[in-house]
Formats: sequence, C-alpha cells, structure tokens
Amino acid sequence: MSRNVLEKLMHQLCVDRTVKQRFKEDPEGLLARYALSEEERAMVTGFDVAGMQKHGVNPMLTLGFWTENAPNRHPAAYMKALRGAAAAEGQVFSAGLKQ
Amino acid sequence: MGKIVGGFLVPHDPVMFVAPEAPAEDIRKRMWGAFDTCAERLAGLEATSVVIIGADHYFNFGTGCLPQYIIGTGDVDGPLDVLPGLKRQIIPASEKLAGFIADHGHANGFDWAVARAFTVDHAVAIPDRLIIDPVRARGQSIGTIPVYIAAGVDPFIKMKRAIELGGAIKAAVEAMPDDERVVVIGSGGISHWVGTPEMGKVNEAFDREIMDYACTGNLAAIQALSDDYILDNGGNGGMEIRQWAVAMGAMPGARGEIIDYAPVREWVTGLGFVQLFA
Repeated sequence: MSRNVLEKLMHQLCVDRTVKQRFKEDPEGLLARYALSEEERAMVTGFDVAGMQKHGVNPMLTLGFWTENAPNRHPAAYMKALRGAAAAEGQVFSAGLKQ
Repeated sequence: MGKIVGGFLVPHDPVMFVAPEAPAEDIRKRMWGAFDTCAERLAGLEATSVVIIGADHYFNFGTGCLPQYIIGTGDVDGPLDVLPGLKRQIIPASEKLAGFIADHGHANGFDWAVARAFTVDHAVAIPDRLIIDPVRARGQSIGTIPVYIAAGVDPFIKMKRAIELGGAIKAAVEAMPDDERVVVIGSGGISHWVGTPEMGKVNEAFDREIMDYACTGNLAAIQALSDDYILDNGGNGGMEIRQWAVAMGAMPGARGEIIDYAPVREWVTGLGFVQLFA
C-alpha cells in the first residue's frame, strides 16, 4: 500500500497534460508504470476518492484529480462519490478550480 | 536600513474568481471591497517591497520535493493555475531584497530553499493582483517577494517555526543596508475544508478566535494551537493560518484591526481581512 505513489500519480493527473491524456486513452498502460497494488489501481480507475482519502491521499489531490479527469466533473458528483448517495442531498459548495 | 512598515492578513479564495456571482450581492461587494481597502491602505504605507506568504496547494511542488519554506529570489510570474479573470502575467519582483533575506537566513539558521524563477499559484497571485497591482497602477514601484510554507501538504511546518520564520524575515529586512519599506501579507485561511466530505462548511467561531489572536498580537496563543485542533475546527484549509503566523512573527507586538469578515459558504471559506500596524 503506497500513499506516496498514489499521491505522485494524483499530482501528475492534476498538473501534467500528457499524463492526463494517457490516463484517458490507456489507463492500464499508464498505471503499469506505478508501483500500485490491485486495490489502489481499482481506486484510481474507479474514481474512488473516498477510498483514496481513507488511504491517506491529500484531499486537494482527490478534488483536483476528479475535476481534471472524472467522466462527470460536476462538484455534486464529487461530493456524492465522497459522502455516498445518502449524504449528497442539499446544496453543494466546491473549492474546485473548474465548476 | 530596511523596516517593516505594515502587514495584512487576507484570504486567497480562488472560488471568488470561479463563481463570482454565487454569494448574495452585499457579501460579494463587501469581500471584493475589502481587497480594495487593503490596496488603499497599502498605498498609504509607501512600500517598496511586499513579502507575500502563501502555501502550496500541491500545484507547485509534487511528491519529489516538498519544501518546508521557500523564497522566490528571482523572476516571478503567475498564477500557475490561471482562473477566470486571473490570467498569468509577469509579477514585478524585488530580487535584491529577496536574495538578501535568503542569504541572511542561511547565515542565521534558516536554510531557505530558493526559487530563482518562480511561477506562483493563486496563493500569491490573488493578493498581488488585488492589493498590490492597484497601487502599482497609481505609479508606486513595488516588488513582490513570494514565500511559500508547507501548510497545505504534509509534513506541515511547525507553528513555532512559522513564527520564527517571520522573525527571520524581520531580522533580514532590518539588516538590509537599503532603505526598504516592507509590507508583509499573510495569505490564506481562515476556516475551509478543501476536497473533504465537509467541503462548504465554515466555522465562524474558529475564524473569530484566530482574528482575535491576530488583532491582539497573541503569538503565544497561535503557537499553542495543535494541528488536531486546527484540522477539527478550521479544516485542512485552516492549516493556512500558518501564513498568518509568519506575518505576525515578522511584526511581534503589532496590533491589528479587522477590515472585514464574512463566513461565505458559497466561496467555501471564512474570509477574514486584518491589517497589522507596525
């Protein structure tokens, strides 16, 4: 289990256009370059931001990762993924840099 | 000989640019207006250099290098993270003083990392654009010195060390042979939760506690705050009160005055503006 490698990948998926493109086109090929466990790879491909935070990943990275790469980048979708469906009711406020 | 002539403690909330219309109109006007007030008061201080203390948001630095504190000693531009209404531009620097602060620190127990060409993120770019640029537009020549501390990404700088770092900036400025008039800006806070399940929560009680410490110059109280207390009550973004601590540490004994404050859920932050008087 490596929070550090996950954070390295998350950081690159926030700021590096080339890595973001590779993740979109060939996620498995990209992830093979990182020393991640099966569980960690599943967190990334499944956009399991709640799981990653429990794993110790900095929440600023999970927010940036979602905002830059998720199929549905809306803040409400992020909060739903983070809190679970039951807790996603009501108004959502986001610190995301793209809304 | 240089001297610190004043200070400001302000937010650097990017959501003000991303969703400018989100809060009620009176709140919007007050918060943008608070930046204008800071600019107006900065103009009166006749500063030659402004040290802006920010914190990285995992933009500038990655897992390969996470400095405890770093100073921009050369060219400066930004923001790295361009926002609507906040495009990247060259930021006038103050290279001689910045280099002097780094050298003085290296000779006195502060091993500054240095950035010789630094593209800052919104933590420095927002106060530079909203507070300093309007004063430059009046014809005053002011150089910006960016300082970043580890408040967003662990391992966090210890609060005690943040205060001491402010003292190191003060000592360097006062050792500078040139007649520099320096203003310090602590950029960050107050309570906000970034990317966590609590995002959107604001804790006014915590915010007022911190502003009270700032206005009374209570460095001992700031230093006594544990990381657990800050995280529980101010959120992961509340760790940015370390930037306030650096600015306060550069002005020991200074009293402050609240320019304005509002808990703004739409902008996910308690926005506090404090002026410190030298």
